[in-house]
Amino acid sequence: MTARTPRAARPRPYVDRAVGVGGAVQPVAIRIALWVSVQLLVAGIVVLGGGAATSQPINAAAGWWMVYAGLIDVATLGVIIWLIRRDGVSYRSLLGPPAAAWQVALGALGVLAATVPAVVFGIEINEAFYGNATLPMFAVVDVPAWASFFSVLVAPVLAELAEPVLYLGVVLPRLERRIGRPWIAATIVVLVWAGEHAFFPLLIRDGSLDLVFAGYRVVSVLPFLASWTALYYALGRRLLPIMAARWIFNGGSALALAVGLTG
Amino acid sequence: MQSVILYRLTYLATALSLAHHVDHVIRHNAVGWPLTGEFNAFTMSLIIYPIIITGLLLYRAGRVGPGFWALVSGGGAIFVGAIHFGPSAAEPPAKILDGYDSPILGWLAFALLATFVTVLAITSLYETRVWWQQRQARRVVGSTTDPQMRR
Repeated sequence: MTARTPRAARPRPYVDRAVGVGGAVQPVAIRIALWVSVQLLVAGIVVLGGGAATSQPINAAAGWWMVYAGLIDVATLGVIIWLIRRDGVSYRSLLGPPAAAWQVALGALGVLAATVPAVVFGIEINEAFYGNATLPMFAVVDVPAWASFFSVLVAPVLAELAEPVLYLGVVLPRLERRIGRPWIAATIVVLVWAGEHAFFPLLIRDGSLDLVFAGYRVVSVLPFLASWTALYYALGRRLLPIMAARWIFNGGSALALAVGLTG
Repeated sequence: MQSVILYRLTYLATALSLAHHVDHVIRHNAVGWPLTGEFNAFTMSLIIYPIIITGLLLYRAGRVGPGFWALVSGGGAIFVGAIHFGPSAAEPPAKILDGYDSPILGWLAFALLATFVTVLAITSLYETRVWWQQRQARRVVGSTTDPQMRR
């Protein structure tokens, strides 16, 4: 076998195949539209279901955000699969080069360690905005046991299969190809990804949209998203360690909330 | 084989380290020799500059590789992280946030510190990956040139 044969057989990375910024804008726009419309739909159900006593149906609907997040992630997965089928690549190829389970676990530990400064920064931001009070996105959550179960066991897994894969596996390569400078593409991805967080959940305070909370959501996730995007490059475009570490963060937060450890 | 990215990350981490030391000097808290007579973590941290200069010369000469830099970056991340974010931190975030009259400057200094530690940790992971890949490549080359294997 000559040295050329394996190189010719090697599939091109997705960054070489992902073309068209439309494929980057569409799924992000769909996610944002879904966050808003699903919350409004749940608010409508609250009103129709005899929630007349509820003074603010939008905030009552926000109480379910960790549950309906699962629906939005399933829809995102559908959009990802539709896009990659069009480009002729597999979902697995979006997750980066193959790695053994121990390598993924070790990488996840590294990601957790490298995220410590973002955690410390996040704690200070939380205190600057809300002092020692429970954060609004957790304080608003009020769901039955089965929904808590779903938000602890199912939603965090769906989130990892959809969110980082969309932004780092699908959107980033398209922007890299279009812009030509990975650091600019990465900066745009981090800012848009953080911006999406302003929409979940939407809260009403004093009769109007709580823009301070929306701003807080964006600022508080920025250090995490910047760290994870940089780690994506540092780990040779491997997503699995980042997904595993994020699952521990998000699943841990949902579990802490379900068992009443937040506040 | 030398990595351009490794050089760039080392220069970035060095620049952030210098900026953090300048921040200490401006705030004038948690500083030690040569600015005061005290020997403390600030004094010890200055050793990093001779290590970086020596490391760069040795790396250029091919005497050290990414494994050396992974230890330097990782050690730096643990040292700076423990001093500022650890359970018994000598200089916790509050000292930096309240170190300036202007809250904006305090937040900028704190953001600089968080970025610095993050860059060190990410750089260490990158260097570990490059070290591992080079090690694997050497193994493959070694096994194909091993006389017992060829027999």
